[in-house]
Amino acid sequence: MQNQDEIPLEEEIESTTFDTAYEADDWSNYKDCDVLKQQSAIWEEDAAKFPFVGDKEPLSSLEAEYKSGSPILLEKIKVLHEQYAAIRRTRGDGNCFFRSFMFSYLEHIVESQDEAEVERIKTNVEKCRRTLQSLGYADFTFEDFFSLFVEQLESVLQGNEDSISHDELIMRSRDQSVSDYVVMFFRFVTSGEIRKRSEFFEPFILGLTNTTFCKTSVEPMGEESDHVHITALSDALGVPIRVVYLDRSSCDTGSVSVNHHDFIPGLGDTSKASTSSSGPEKDPFIVLLYRPGHYDILYRK
Amino acid sequence: MTSPSASSRKTLSKIATNRLQKELMEWQVNPPAGFKHKVTDNLQRWVIEVNGAPGTLYANETFQLQVDFPEHYPMEAPQVIFIPPAPLHPHIYSNGHICLDILYDSWSPAMTVSSVCISIVSMLSSSTSKVRASCSLITIASPKKKPKCRCSDYNASSVDQRPADDERYVKNCRNGRSPKETRWWFHDDKKHSFKFRNKEKQANPDAKMIGTNETLQRMKLFKKTDGTVDHKS
Repeated sequence: MQNQDEIPLEEEIESTTFDTAYEADDWSNYKDCDVLKQQSAIWEEDAAKFPFVGDKEPLSSLEAEYKSGSPILLEKIKVLHEQYAAIRRTRGDGNCFFRSFMFSYLEHIVESQDEAEVERIKTNVEKCRRTLQSLGYADFTFEDFFSLFVEQLESVLQGNEDSISHDELIMRSRDQSVSDYVVMFFRFVTSGEIRKRSEFFEPFILGLTNTTFCKTSVEPMGEESDHVHITALSDALGVPIRVVYLDRSSCDTGSVSVNHHDFIPGLGDTSKASTSSSGPEKDPFIVLLYRPGHYDILYRK
Repeated sequence: MTSPSASSRKTLSKIATNRLQKELMEWQVNPPAGFKHKVTDNLQRWVIEVNGAPGTLYANETFQLQVDFPEHYPMEAPQVIFIPPAPLHPHIYSNGHICLDILYDSWSPAMTVSSVCISIVSMLSSSTSKVRASCSLITIASPKKKPKCRCSDYNASSVDQRPADDERYVKNCRNGRSPKETRWWFHDDKKHSFKFRNKEKQANPDAKMIGTNETLQRMKLFKKTDGTVDHKS
């Protein structure tokens, strides 16, 4: 083994061990570059199969996914059918919550042409900008992300020179240079909110300071979101979000029901409970389907 | 070894150029203490002179950092290495590669060259002994087994106090491999064990929620009989 040149050795490994049975692989033969190459191949394969934002599919496609799976899940999907008609999947790259929120929100504006809502959210975006400034973020770190979001917001309203159609919105949401920038905009907004209201959020962040939590779990792309992120984003932008949970939990009473939770901005700090019977006009227009580890978009009937 | 990786050799995107110009301007107006940007006309590669912080092991020493920006900066991390001779430090390889999470997995577009420099000097400053060691590479690790950190080995009795994998790692990088092509394992970063678990979670949608989703469990304090979960604060 003396004077063994490692570069040809790596090539040899690529051409031989990758063909052998998985269990038989000796992991010590793998070099970083092999692992990374394989990892990026998997990502590319995923990217080809799952766009950042998929097409709208009937809810039955969800059923097909669990055909031979847990009966509880199948029961729950039946319950979902009562209220929901379709699903739009997002890529499971750790940004799925933000990506689902982005598409769902902008799609709502395209369809509703709610100018008042756009004005309202723009005011909140300005507040978020000032929050970041007061927390000491240099303007150049976030301004590109903010202006890109505002640009999208204005373009989904019709009647402008730069107005875009629903199809164009889908294309932009699949274009990394737009989609990732909007996701990062939401990460800035979320981080700013958590750090601004540190006393409120601290109890929900285990063993970390808010600043550390934001630096490690909010600001880097690909970090997954949980209730803390959703609460912060919904509060900061003033946009209610419904999350419907599809998991294997079941009620002791025997009847199968699907849990959901409404994130209602401003309620977080007053301990007011959200209810499911608050009338359709108060129902959040953004509905996300949560399966452990992933968010997709749901459409009402 | 100073040649950038293939991915960073592409020219900067418009948005990256724009951002870097603003960043450079800010640096010139308000340079971080202890650093000096060496003026060149190359926006894509910055060379920064670093002074060891006073009162630390590296006081009165000067090093050079080379920062190469990828096409899609700041969405992608810059490649940051010391131009050898690199400081003797448990997290710095003799070829100048730095084992610091924010340069790889934990990079965020919210960071800047200046904040990266400050993190690197703070890493140097917190060192209590000047030994070349390593926070270990994940090269020989089964995903099923928790990778072992070799950091703990560095203060062993080896004469030159270099880690077992410095020589091997540097040799592997000799044809100009970027540190961004290394799979780093950060021994003092608990988050990464979450990452492994999150992967499992994604693979199996039925898996129980763990890791950061503990917070979710804590927030779900009340479960009403109609199945609605309330957000209790």
